[in-house]
Amino acid sequence: MSRQSGAAGGETPDVVAISSEALAAIAKAQSPEDLERIEVEYLGRKSGRISSMLDGIGKLEPAERAALGKAANEAKRTIEVALATRRAELDAARLADLAETEAIDVTFPGPPPGRGHIHVLTQVRRQIETVLESLGYQVELGPEVETEWYNFEALNITAGHPARENWDSFYFSPELLLRAHTSPVQIRAMQRIKEPPIYIITPGRCYRRDAPEATRLPYFSQVEGLAVDVGLTVGDMKGTLLYMIQSLYGRERKVRVRPSYFPFTEPSFEFDVTCGICGGMGCKSCRHKGWLEVGGCGMVHPQVLRNGGIDPTKWNGYAWGFGIERMTMLKHDVDDIRLFYDSDLRFLEQF
Amino acid sequence: MRVSFEWLGDFVDLEGVTPKDAADVLTRLGVEVESLTTIDLSSIVIGKVLEQVKHPKSRADLWIHQVDVGGRVMQIIAGAPNAVPGTLVPVAMPGTTVPNGELVKDMNIAGEKASGMLCSAEELLLSDDHKGILLLDHGTPGEPLTTVIPNQAVMEAEVTSNRPDEMGHLGIARELAAGLDRPLKRDFMPAFTGTAEPAGRDLIKVTIDDPDLCSRYIGGVIKGVKVGPSPDWLQRRLRASGVRPINNIVDITNYVLLEYAQPLHAFDLAKLDGPAIHVRRARDKEKLLCLDGVQRELAPHMLVIADAQRPVAIAGIIGGEESAVTEATADILLEAATFNGPSVRQTARALGLRTEASTRFERTLPPELALAGARRAASLISELAGGKVHRDWADVYPRPQEPVRVNLRPSLIDDVLGTHVPLEEAESILKRLNFHVKVMGDGEWDVLPPVFRLDVTIPEDLVEEVGRVYGYDRITPTLPGRRHDSWTPLAPSIDRRLDDAREVLAGAGFTETWNPGLVSGRKLEELRIAAHAMRVMNALSDDVDTLRTSLLPSLVDAVALNRDRGRVDVRVYEIATAFLARVGEKNTQPDEPLRLAAVATAGTSSGEGTAVFYRLKSVLDGCIASLSAPACTYQRAAAQLFHPGRCAAVVLDGRQLGYIGELHPSVASAAKIEGRAVAFEIDVDPLLSAATIRRAQPLPKFPGVERDLAVVVDETVAASALLAAIKEAAGDLLENAGAFDEYRGAQVPEGHKSIAFTLTFRSPERTLTDAEVDKVMSEIKLGLEKRHTARFRE
Repeated sequence: MSRQSGAAGGETPDVVAISSEALAAIAKAQSPEDLERIEVEYLGRKSGRISSMLDGIGKLEPAERAALGKAANEAKRTIEVALATRRAELDAARLADLAETEAIDVTFPGPPPGRGHIHVLTQVRRQIETVLESLGYQVELGPEVETEWYNFEALNITAGHPARENWDSFYFSPELLLRAHTSPVQIRAMQRIKEPPIYIITPGRCYRRDAPEATRLPYFSQVEGLAVDVGLTVGDMKGTLLYMIQSLYGRERKVRVRPSYFPFTEPSFEFDVTCGICGGMGCKSCRHKGWLEVGGCGMVHPQVLRNGGIDPTKWNGYAWGFGIERMTMLKHDVDDIRLFYDSDLRFLEQF
Repeated sequence: MRVSFEWLGDFVDLEGVTPKDAADVLTRLGVEVESLTTIDLSSIVIGKVLEQVKHPKSRADLWIHQVDVGGRVMQIIAGAPNAVPGTLVPVAMPGTTVPNGELVKDMNIAGEKASGMLCSAEELLLSDDHKGILLLDHGTPGEPLTTVIPNQAVMEAEVTSNRPDEMGHLGIARELAAGLDRPLKRDFMPAFTGTAEPAGRDLIKVTIDDPDLCSRYIGGVIKGVKVGPSPDWLQRRLRASGVRPINNIVDITNYVLLEYAQPLHAFDLAKLDGPAIHVRRARDKEKLLCLDGVQRELAPHMLVIADAQRPVAIAGIIGGEESAVTEATADILLEAATFNGPSVRQTARALGLRTEASTRFERTLPPELALAGARRAASLISELAGGKVHRDWADVYPRPQEPVRVNLRPSLIDDVLGTHVPLEEAESILKRLNFHVKVMGDGEWDVLPPVFRLDVTIPEDLVEEVGRVYGYDRITPTLPGRRHDSWTPLAPSIDRRLDDAREVLAGAGFTETWNPGLVSGRKLEELRIAAHAMRVMNALSDDVDTLRTSLLPSLVDAVALNRDRGRVDVRVYEIATAFLARVGEKNTQPDEPLRLAAVATAGTSSGEGTAVFYRLKSVLDGCIASLSAPACTYQRAAAQLFHPGRCAAVVLDGRQLGYIGELHPSVASAAKIEGRAVAFEIDVDPLLSAATIRRAQPLPKFPGVERDLAVVVDETVAASALLAAIKEAAGDLLENAGAFDEYRGAQVPEGHKSIAFTLTFRSPERTLTDAEVDKVMSEIKLGLEKRHTARFRE
């Protein structure tokens, strides 16, 4: 009993000794890992030195039991506070030193994102569609292999017409050919919709029998637009083209329409945009004209409306068309149309 | 059309108008001036050659000239021998620049002083003629060259195909006069007529077989002409237009062509058998030696001018050599005719011969123009070559040109243009363009276009005439807008919807390409995908003669090309239509399925190929999901272009959309790709039609339980079959099942594989107990054992 009591009495100073031992270790600790180790050594729930002291507590006298318990709890709290304080100190020191300890060379380049690229013609077509959809135009599509009637006759380009040369085409049979423009889609759309208002755009691939060179290819893409409504004017057509061009190229650009000739429009025009490099003053890039040719346009010929099943005495319309490649070349300063179809990643990854 | 500014001055007063002004006016009127070249001759002086000797030392043929340039003599060395003593020549002084850009310097050539330069017509940009020094027929030594040849301005003008009248200087000048509001100094129809007896029509018999092909033939007889060189001014104008002077008669026909746009031809009357003119179709294999020295074989679809015996010209294209006007010619037959445009074009194409004449006839000329051209030429011939023009020419005119009247409600002008053009201004514009306007009682205008304007037939044509002269720049741009009581709701375009798939592909490192729809048919055959190919009848070359039946060959080529340029890892795709002929229906349009196809390089080893194949499958699944379409399944398949052991059909609701797999090694090696490549190609339309709007699922309320299961089965059992068996055996509690690993080796018998699945179980009503899950797991194992004699690895 006395041995036990003595033992118990002898334990009390042990608590103090262990505690100060712990505090000394904490003060010397240099890292969160050190503190972690110390915490386990002294405060571990089963084998920690403080906890182990309480192992035999049940055998003690109530008074001794209370005293030992109290001392142990105080020691535990003291150690905990010291641990927390030291932890905070170490943390503060670590954060204070971050600039040295964790500095990296921020100028070193990151790895490539590994993202693929969307074709620049897709991007430009998307922009064109967005701009014209904002004016209420909708996309219409049609077949690339067309009949002679839709590609030519319906557009007033009768057999033997001298203008046919401008649409020299690839034939599969006398009746079947690769469309030379997306205009057949206009006819098909009029026939399908029947009752104006009609506001459509017709993006798509076209084919002409032109030998490949820097400015033309036997295959290319167009966007044509068609508006059929009551009382449309050349002014409306000009406004639509201007809105489109300014939305795509910037509000400082100007558009002019120049009389020209197409069998499917009357009057007919070509439309030009002011050169983006000289702003219309004339420079080498626009061959000193100040203007760059973009496409053709005009008021829809009454016969073409009739061919589309629309009564030209009630409705009229305007239409325009241009090459997506040409539009893209003007926008991004591409000087050779063949680059679009060469699938050379060195080019495609620039956009 | 090459237009000389000086020549336009014959017809319209150009006082105060610069060539640039004229070009701008013409462009605004619809005659687009593509380029304007001005030739400044003011620094060139006239010299008179006093002496010419061969250079004694130079090995090249050089001549030393002593040239009087007005009071002093210069020593000039030239390479051409034609500046003989007494001739007048253009001299460029040292320190000046010749129009072709050459700077003239004092030099020493093989010991002889050379000062200044004698100029050829080419160096002065007056023509393409570089043979010899330009010789002048008059002028004073020391005076500027411009006292003899004015400064030149040449415009390259694009004439639209509906305006053959603008294919001559008079037509261009008429436009310019209207645009400048100045009078035109020349009437369309010259007053000149012949007076010599007897009547021309009694001297030649003209017959036309088919009035559809020749609506008018005028044959004018002119006797006693003196054939010789044309005067300088005429030769110069021809040269400036790119036409080589021959003799005065031929030159005059060419001159009038360039002036009136009416092609003409002069025959040596003595060489015409009959003398008769028979406008007929060529006989099969009939031959004609043409003016260009080429003997051509003719075909019955071609129209010829024949005499009583044989062809003497191909109608509207080129004359024959034997009946041509030569130095020995005294009497001529002047032809001015109107030939059918499409027929001339067809013949010119068939012969591969386009001439100044054919390019005009092709556009369909008005028959009235023939008479104007004939009169103009006859008056020039009588003036410059002498000769008596006989009265009353033969003029066979079976289809007289009908006048076209157009009724115009003048308010249409404002309605179409969207601006107000005062009526007087509109009327004045039409009159300036030689239209007759009669205002009717009801306010409508009865308009008679001039005879040379066959292109004007409907009121809208008149609106265009008024609009282009009034000036389209004066029309304010507006946006259309009225109250609509019907509309079509905006539907996203197919391409817009596919942008979602493009984003997935971009994220996976794939770059979009656009490849031509026309490819080599031979190549499609080699790849055995030509069964539904459509071949173009008139291809430009055999590399691009057939519509592609698959997007893959182009993408494989794209991989090869980029490999060639140093890329190891290439991932490309394309969205475009393929073309599949409908079998047995020759004249129907093909199927044009919209396709999505991708190709990626996949290392060299079997393992790399496999890994990239599975990665590509995930990309395809991602694309399909991005389109809001239901997930597709994959079934082992065999297809052209693909590896026989590594190809799957992509199936949506039992419908096959296309294939995914490793490319067949022979396809890769044919494209010179080293190593492996994987690819897919699917139809997009079924996916777009199957797309649904996603509906939100409630988040789970109870925790799920995950179990892994390693299934050992025979090599031939597909993962998809195991998955199906698992799902069938599991019942409702199985929320999700997916294969994540495939293993062969220790613990797995030969000819077998182990596939590991992760299974997620969940109940919407309660937290599942282990016991419940264990029960389902044994059901699953039982099912797999029964179906696929599977065993299980722990």
